[in-house]
Amino acid sequence: MNLELNYLASFSYIIPEVVALVLMSGLILLEATFKLSENNRTILKYFTYFGIALIFGTLITNFSVKPVRVFTDSYTVDSFGTFIKFIMAFSALFCIRLAFQSKDIADQHKNEYSILVIGLLLGGMLLVSANNLLVFYIGIETLSIISYAMAALKRTDYKSSEAGLKYSLYGGITAGIMLFGMSHIYGVLGTIDYAEISIRLQTLTNSDLAILLPSFLLFFAGIGYKIACVPFHMWSPDVYEGSPMPVTAIFSILPKVAGMGALYRLADTFFTTNESLMISWNGLLLVTAALTMTVGNVTAIGQRSVKRMLAYSSISHSGFMMLGALSIDASGTSALLFYIANYLFMTLVAFYIVSQVTDHFNNDHFDRFSGLIKSYPVMTIVLAITMFSLAGIPPFGGFVAKFNIISTLLSKGFYTIALVAVLNSVVSLYYYLKIVRLSIFKDSEEVKIVGFGIKDQLVIGILALPIVMLGIYWESLFKLVKSGSLLHF
Amino acid sequence: MHRLLDLILWTPMIGVLGVLLIPSAMKNGIRIWSLINTLATMLLTILLYLNFDQSVPGMQEAFSVKLPWIAQFNINYSLGVDGISLPMILLTGLLFFLCVLSSWTIEKSIKAYFALFLMLQTSVFGVFLALDFFLFYVFWEVMLIPMFFLIGIWGGENREYAAVKFFLYTFAGSVLMLVSMIGLYFLSGQGAESFNILALSGGKFSNEVLEVFGGTFSLPKFFFVMLFIGFAIKVPVFPFHTWLPHAHVQAPTAISVILAGVLLKMGTYGFLRIAFPIFPEASVYFKETIALLGLINIIYGALCAMAQTDVKKLIAYSSVSHMGFVMMGLAAMTVQGTNGAVLQMFNHGTSTAMMFLMIGILYERSHHRWIVKPDGSKGFGGLYTQLPIFSVVFIIAMFASMGLPGLSGFISEALIFLGIYEEFTTMTILALIGLLIGAAYLLWMFKRMFFGEVTEEVREYQDMNKREIFYMVPLCVAVIVFGIFPSPILNIMKASVGSLVSLLAQFQ
Repeated sequence: MNLELNYLASFSYIIPEVVALVLMSGLILLEATFKLSENNRTILKYFTYFGIALIFGTLITNFSVKPVRVFTDSYTVDSFGTFIKFIMAFSALFCIRLAFQSKDIADQHKNEYSILVIGLLLGGMLLVSANNLLVFYIGIETLSIISYAMAALKRTDYKSSEAGLKYSLYGGITAGIMLFGMSHIYGVLGTIDYAEISIRLQTLTNSDLAILLPSFLLFFAGIGYKIACVPFHMWSPDVYEGSPMPVTAIFSILPKVAGMGALYRLADTFFTTNESLMISWNGLLLVTAALTMTVGNVTAIGQRSVKRMLAYSSISHSGFMMLGALSIDASGTSALLFYIANYLFMTLVAFYIVSQVTDHFNNDHFDRFSGLIKSYPVMTIVLAITMFSLAGIPPFGGFVAKFNIISTLLSKGFYTIALVAVLNSVVSLYYYLKIVRLSIFKDSEEVKIVGFGIKDQLVIGILALPIVMLGIYWESLFKLVKSGSLLHF
Repeated sequence: MHRLLDLILWTPMIGVLGVLLIPSAMKNGIRIWSLINTLATMLLTILLYLNFDQSVPGMQEAFSVKLPWIAQFNINYSLGVDGISLPMILLTGLLFFLCVLSSWTIEKSIKAYFALFLMLQTSVFGVFLALDFFLFYVFWEVMLIPMFFLIGIWGGENREYAAVKFFLYTFAGSVLMLVSMIGLYFLSGQGAESFNILALSGGKFSNEVLEVFGGTFSLPKFFFVMLFIGFAIKVPVFPFHTWLPHAHVQAPTAISVILAGVLLKMGTYGFLRIAFPIFPEASVYFKETIALLGLINIIYGALCAMAQTDVKKLIAYSSVSHMGFVMMGLAAMTVQGTNGAVLQMFNHGTSTAMMFLMIGILYERSHHRWIVKPDGSKGFGGLYTQLPIFSVVFIIAMFASMGLPGLSGFISEALIFLGIYEEFTTMTILALIGLLIGAAYLLWMFKRMFFGEVTEEVREYQDMNKREIFYMVPLCVAVIVFGIFPSPILNIMKASVGSLVSLLAQFQ
């Protein structure tokens, strides 16, 4: 009796997830029941916006809730998770808006896109809040399966289908490997509950550790694939390039952010109690993060498609975000939260602008940006600001985000990786400058891009505002992420 | 009076807002507004000079501003001025004002040009005024953005390459500075003063070590090297100088002037304000290296200058050579040497600005800058007979740059040599050879351009007009007056330089 009541009471903590689920199923039902005319689609669009607004509202109430574990300790609700969910919901909202504008997604698929994004959001929420390995697995699979469908959303396009296939093959294999690793962990520790795991880790024998380490490596493959870190990143440029633009936009934010949240939670579970595990984890993370940044940046230099360049740049950004997990304490997690908040705005603005230009010219070659300043000065300046911010130049938000990560590293004495990280910023500046340089220094004829109406420019401008504001005045956001930075309770 | 530094820093930003508000059709309106704005800034810097107390060695309390900015990291908006930064501030105020006049002929999207130009001025002032390391770093980096566009949009043929190279080089240096800055923050205990340059100064860090793979490294030395590379790229010191010829040659005249006159000094100012006072022990440890790099700068820069056929490139390399003197003067860590270095920073600012302005004036007439054209024919000939006023001003600029007695360059170079002779005798003698090569390339350039047969093109050139004469006069006055009577500048820096040298002397 008590257990059932507890279960029922637990539901009060996961209202955002429930809303997302209801919204998703509602949308599916509506779309299945009614014939979708132009008019109905618009109504569905606003219905989706309304649903996401509800998710926002319920998330805000969750912010003030004390951290709890619900559903027999399998699910954590705390402000760390809530903050990330907030970011994910934000990205979902604006990517849906982008999809309704974009020509890259056929009209009859636009509503499918929003359904899938809500599903992605749900999966991300599960992943971020997971407090045992099973929920973690469910979260990651929800994310993945929906992602496969999304990558192949442009059914008539062979590149998009290829992306979907590649993604699912790669995802299927890594999921298998990850599950294998998880079962080993269960075999060694006898539990899948995070809280239990961190207790049992303290009393491990050396032979247990010898089994646990490789199995954790296998497990890491699964999450590494989700956040696209080297060497599990191979799928990402092809998938990003093949998928329609709004899909690429959501891919480079939502699953990545969710994966980061889960990674931090895992690191907190596995690597704070056992000294020798912590050392090997740091070694693993140092190498993968350094590789991720370097490979991402160096490969991005040679790209000719802006979308592909953004894909590689997002790989290098995930390398940067991983670095915060080197020191699992308040400073590391707050640095991550600050980073993803900035990353959200920068990525959204970049994709909004690139998407409109691509739609106009029907391809996303760098040259399409030549002389954009002549036709759309404000948009070009916003694009330039975003690129500077992505590279980490003050006084923009991206700089402060990197500053926080670097200071976390140096506070723990990781000098070498800090140097690698900052020098990577220099490499990244080169390709970010390429787009700035083309759009501002080159001359071209004036073009009229439909996607840059006054209203759209206003939306992009508002999205870009935090990039500038967070670079100059970041105290209030920093206080907020500080309050959300405690994983322990 | 206590808001004066704020005013100096932000007046150009008010100018930016004004420029943005003026419709782009009103070209003269934009020009005049920018002129008024920079004139106001210059007058404010002169007001600062007049109220400056020459006897105070450190920061002048009367002007200091300190407001909290980001409390979590103890970052403050903190400004101040002392005898080392004041000459730089005066120079900045003067050169930006003159450069607006020199930019009068720019026609290509002048609204953006002047907006970026004034934005640049704020960031330069920010670097010279900031007393908070984080604030310093932000201004140091922000400066790159207007510079990138100013070179990249209004530059010469190869402008994109030059702009990107400039940006990447400087950014690479400054991220190393970032690591060192954050490391210093943790080294000093993350306290309330951990980003305060003055509180960090004084050689508080000497024994901290870093353990990597079993070996131990001295953290202060590591940080010093990081800072050194960051500043050295800006100066530029020998192996890091390759961005400079491109940036100088491709930039439009006014921007070359700012680049050579003010921005290069930010590098040496960084040594004086940050690297030396915070890590005096490491500075003393590396002083031979710094002096040697300075010497290489002098000789190598001079030899490179001699080989150039593009006169702007020649002047650019002469800057490399002259900044070498500053580096040597700093490395000596003696009173005369440091005084000479700071004075040379100021004097090089005026004389090289003159040279670049003269080249710019010539370029507006000739549309090329070849001493010897690529096909082997003469670029210019007999300018002296055709453009008498131009030639006289050019001679003043050239001799000032060469270091002829009676003109400003002589005093500062003499002081530097006095300062370094005791410390590095052999290097001093070698540096004198650099001085000789300096005279040789300048005179040879002068001979090829101004004497000899008058070429056809030269006959059509007009002599300097009133506007051009107007903006050259202050600089001529400066190089002559400070050549005979340098004490107005020397007196303001004396106390501050003295305290820095005595700090360094404790660690010799």
